[in-house]
Amino acid sequence: MRNKIFTAGAGAAAIAAAIALAGPAQAADGDAQLSVLHGVPGLTVDVWVNGDRTLDDFAPGTLAGPLALPAGAYELAITASDAADASSPVIGPVTVNLAANGNYTAAAHLDAAGKPAANLFTNDAAQIPAGKGKLTVRHAAAAPAVDVLAGGTAVVTNLANPNEQTLTLDPGTVPAAVAAAGTTTPVLGPADVTVAEGTHTIVYAWGSLADQNLKLAVQTIEGLHSSPASVPGARDGSADAGGAGSAAAAGIAALALLAGVWGVARAVAARRAEA
Amino acid sequence: MELSPTTAGQPRRRDSLHPAHRWGAAAAVVATLVLAGCSSTGPGEAAPPATAVPPGSATSPDPLLPPQAAPAAAASAVPPAAAAPSPAGVPVHPATAKPAAAVPPPTWLTVPGTSIDMAVVPGGVSAGGAMEIPDAFDRAAWYRYGPAPGAAQGSAVIAGHIDTTSNRAPFSALKSLRAGAVIRVGRDGAPALTYRVVKVDLMAKDRFDGASLFRRSGAHELKVVTCGGRWLDERLDYSDNVIVTAVLE
Repeated sequence: MRNKIFTAGAGAAAIAAAIALAGPAQAADGDAQLSVLHGVPGLTVDVWVNGDRTLDDFAPGTLAGPLALPAGAYELAITASDAADASSPVIGPVTVNLAANGNYTAAAHLDAAGKPAANLFTNDAAQIPAGKGKLTVRHAAAAPAVDVLAGGTAVVTNLANPNEQTLTLDPGTVPAAVAAAGTTTPVLGPADVTVAEGTHTIVYAWGSLADQNLKLAVQTIEGLHSSPASVPGARDGSADAGGAGSAAAAGIAALALLAGVWGVARAVAARRAEA
Repeated sequence: MELSPTTAGQPRRRDSLHPAHRWGAAAAVVATLVLAGCSSTGPGEAAPPATAVPPGSATSPDPLLPPQAAPAAAASAVPPAAAAPSPAGVPVHPATAKPAAAVPPPTWLTVPGTSIDMAVVPGGVSAGGAMEIPDAFDRAAWYRYGPAPGAAQGSAVIAGHIDTTSNRAPFSALKSLRAGAVIRVGRDGAPALTYRVVKVDLMAKDRFDGASLFRRSGAHELKVVTCGGRWLDERLDYSDNVIVTAVLE
């Protein structure tokens, strides 16, 4: 199924209005989110969606979007920046299927052999446990399989173009470097990559090893935080609303606690006996 | 980054509880054994110990509080840098990491007219998923991943214990605060803030609404939280959280 987002012959103003309406703030329920990454060195391009110029003079190392788009199939084509239409693409055309509520990044990048390619990555936009951040590494460079090192230790191994790996981490700044798989000598980095709480940070290695222009691109998906499960503000029952503060109440509380401890001890002993 | 808990957490004020007010050593020992306290861990299970932030531990930072961690609120509060609309209105920006905005962390909290006058340290999330609160009854924790006091939006959450292992802690006064009461929050590298209480609520722990308490968008409020309601022996916990809501003066 082809989903025409722009009717044939629509004027530029109508296109602009349609795109503006498709912004994240106005996203309708069920819309997919699409970002576009340019990861082909030395090539300024235009990006066409269903035959309409959507990104003009899109430069390497830049990220567009996210666009909120109704679920469906879209045809993406990438042309030279001075093309009059999408009939002579340098990459594509490719058809991408966007699922309802999905989060995607369409990336133009080099394949392992150095040929320009387009790839649709599906971004994990699920909620992240409280106090954690997520880091995904994507190999989008003309280079063999790599390891990703954090502080000298391989945290991602044998990652090949166009694959990805995702880690859930404590928030912080990771000194990340990329080395050929099985080695520790960086071909890229180390560079500080910040993993923020509640944020999915996606790092792309792009460019070409042979041309010595490997780079990192960073995309973040924010607002994926969740909340702590509780606020444990007590140590014991000393502030019980029923009248702690009197010695008698405290004594009773202490006895109750003592009984509680014995109960726990008995339970533990019983469990040990069963084991 | 400057959010190191080892520097922000230095106590500036001393507690006002006199040692003579504490209960006997025996009761304290017993209570220490049931430290599961306000957590939801049932009796007999190993409760993850709440991690205190040690003062001056510059050489051994708490692993849960990496000094370089960027506050998520800061990151999400920053609009995409250098976003330039393309001709069709699609935002385009360099695919580089956004610098996290510096957030002045809260360092102390006072409520005039009460014994609440204590250091505030950044707190994260314990292994069990609970908000991390220092063991010390005279220290409160600020939820470091959420908005800070003075933030443009969202709730800044500061929480502390209602009791010690043997007695009430200063936060036991929270439930009695009246609308209009003043709460002062000191900050590291920014002027102190004055909040006014608008309400005091009890939220049942078995209907804990974290998304509401820890919200990161909407109008800015200060939420000062402790435990309250009834002590439930079978849970080794209080029935409720006391939540004081205050707004900037």
